[in-house]
Amino acid sequence: MEEFKVPKKFPTTVVGSYPKLDPAPEILRKLRKKELDEKDFHELVRPAIKKVVDDYLWAGIDIISDGEQSREDMVVYFAERIKGYTVGDWVRIFDNTYFRRPVIFDKVEWTSPMTIEDWEYARSISKKRPVKAILTGPYTMVEWSFDLYYKDRKEAVLDIAKVIRKEVEEYLRRGVKYVQVDEPALSTRPWREDAELVKEALEIIFRGVQAKRVIHICFGRLERILPYILDYPVDQFDLEFKNSDFRLLSYLKEYSFDKELGYGVIDVHSLQIENIDEIVKDIEKLMKLDIIGPEKIYIDPDCGLKRLPREIARAKLRNMVEAAKIARERW
Amino acid sequence: MTFKAWSNVLGGFHRPRLIRHALRDFERGSLAFGMIEDLLKTASAEIIGTQVSLGMRFVTDGMLDWHDIFRPFVEAWRNVYPDGLLRYFDNNFFYRIPVFKEEPEPSKLVLATRIRAFKELAEPANFKVVIPGPLTFTLLSKNESGLSKEELAKSIAKVLNMELKEAVSAGALAVQIDEPIVIDPYIELDDINLLSDLTKIVFDGVEAFKILAIYFGVPKKEVYKKLIDLKVDSISLPLIENPKNFLDLIKDFGVGDKIPILGVINTRNIYDDNYDLVKNIVKKSVDIIKPDEIGLTTSSWQDLIPYRYSLRKTVILGEYAERLSRELGFDYINPLSIV
Repeated sequence: MEEFKVPKKFPTTVVGSYPKLDPAPEILRKLRKKELDEKDFHELVRPAIKKVVDDYLWAGIDIISDGEQSREDMVVYFAERIKGYTVGDWVRIFDNTYFRRPVIFDKVEWTSPMTIEDWEYARSISKKRPVKAILTGPYTMVEWSFDLYYKDRKEAVLDIAKVIRKEVEEYLRRGVKYVQVDEPALSTRPWREDAELVKEALEIIFRGVQAKRVIHICFGRLERILPYILDYPVDQFDLEFKNSDFRLLSYLKEYSFDKELGYGVIDVHSLQIENIDEIVKDIEKLMKLDIIGPEKIYIDPDCGLKRLPREIARAKLRNMVEAAKIARERW
Repeated sequence: MTFKAWSNVLGGFHRPRLIRHALRDFERGSLAFGMIEDLLKTASAEIIGTQVSLGMRFVTDGMLDWHDIFRPFVEAWRNVYPDGLLRYFDNNFFYRIPVFKEEPEPSKLVLATRIRAFKELAEPANFKVVIPGPLTFTLLSKNESGLSKEELAKSIAKVLNMELKEAVSAGALAVQIDEPIVIDPYIELDDINLLSDLTKIVFDGVEAFKILAIYFGVPKKEVYKKLIDLKVDSISLPLIENPKNFLDLIKDFGVGDKIPILGVINTRNIYDDNYDLVKNIVKKSVDIIKPDEIGLTTSSWQDLIPYRYSLRKTVILGEYAERLSRELGFDYINPLSIV
């Protein structure tokens, strides 16, 4: 099959997670109850990944993900597979939804590939579309864990960065084209010291990486950290815009932003489906400011779609893709 | 040192497994609401009993059924609804954004029925009610009401005032407004000036011990200076989050005429707090303030840590408070020892 050509202007992508589709919830439950081993788990979750990829292809997304169907949570998933971590008690995330906040009890170590199997499967059925490697960043891992081992937060973050680096090397060996590190916790601590710590971690993770290096940050007051992160060793910042009413745009202009931008135009916290015109207008907001050209703009949702009903997620993505097509004609 | 000291938890608790599962079953339609109510009463009674047995002067019911601090009010008021999720400060916890379409009007009151249900369980301690402060409520909401920010904030404060008055009639002896938004480093001083008006509105005619609680960080100096002038009886500060910066603030500006409530048990981690550190913070604080009375408390609500740790932190608070009183010579008010 001929290689899929990612559009030169306004390629569309996803941040990563997708609603959990059958049989993923049941398979996850069985894994938690230790009724499955890791190998069987990844084998059995494939039908869910297949559905996600089918949805992406139906919507017309250019750069896809595996939908994170194996991941109970973005932190817990890695904590369950990194030596030195244990999974803790349930802590609420919202409403009556909880995650098992992990606990670091020893020095962390990478032992074997954690995410590769699902990614490889998604790639095998992606009709040659690139599949992003998506990894939770070390800063977020530490912030959203309880740390009973490291006395120094920096030491913990940098040790986890080394673990993530090992995982990235596994991807590089397999020819990955896009590697995304998710650091949503950073926006909640908009301090120079924290931003510099993340930079140091990214230097470990991305050193010498030839694939497209992406960092995803969302929610919180992103404009506050923007001046501290512009020199990160990444090619692309994937940021949330829609939920915060594009407040960040004027700051991009102010700070002469010139990297690639993952431009969040879909509100993942709203059940309302953005219509095509609305998304085109939102793209126009960015274009009018003349900050970067369309070849540097990736159109995507604000964040992962996991909290949305599947039909709404699909419809949002479809409209996003249609809007990107119009944008390609217009700009 | 001869002054009075007492302890109380700041707010709500994490849900025990029984409640988590019951609420889940209710959402799936496999459990009737009446069953949930019974379970909630039992679980709340356990939490109240824990606080009473540890000598807390004021107790809360744990707010186990609140999905977030705004939700019970949003659901009880007309012209506002809960929308998408947004991160609550720097926690991996999300609240639903209240969206105001018009001025809020209560269709029912939230607090009074809870107090009537639980106040006898709290004896001989006193019942404390906690509400979101009107400034935090306003600034963390979406205003689609057509009202100005100030108008909306004042209308929220008026409804909260109705809540508090009714709560006091029902038996609450302490009322607390939570204003974590004041720690936001980018908060405008105009908003803090607005808080002054809002505090007057929300506490107007409320005959109870009035507490302003802040948490999740340290306010800027210029903000802190205004906070200690607000018309409240007491101010609760999360010292353990950043002892040096808080002690500097206290040293520079004091606590006004407020009874300080020192948040010295960190409820955002699961360690047993270091007693010597806690003692050092308390000793330094009282050396600076020279108060007639202090309270000791947790640094935030106990809903951000697993249930067993939320109980554990309550035990630590109670035990440390007693021990500190012995070692530092406070006159410790333990309602259990009075009766």
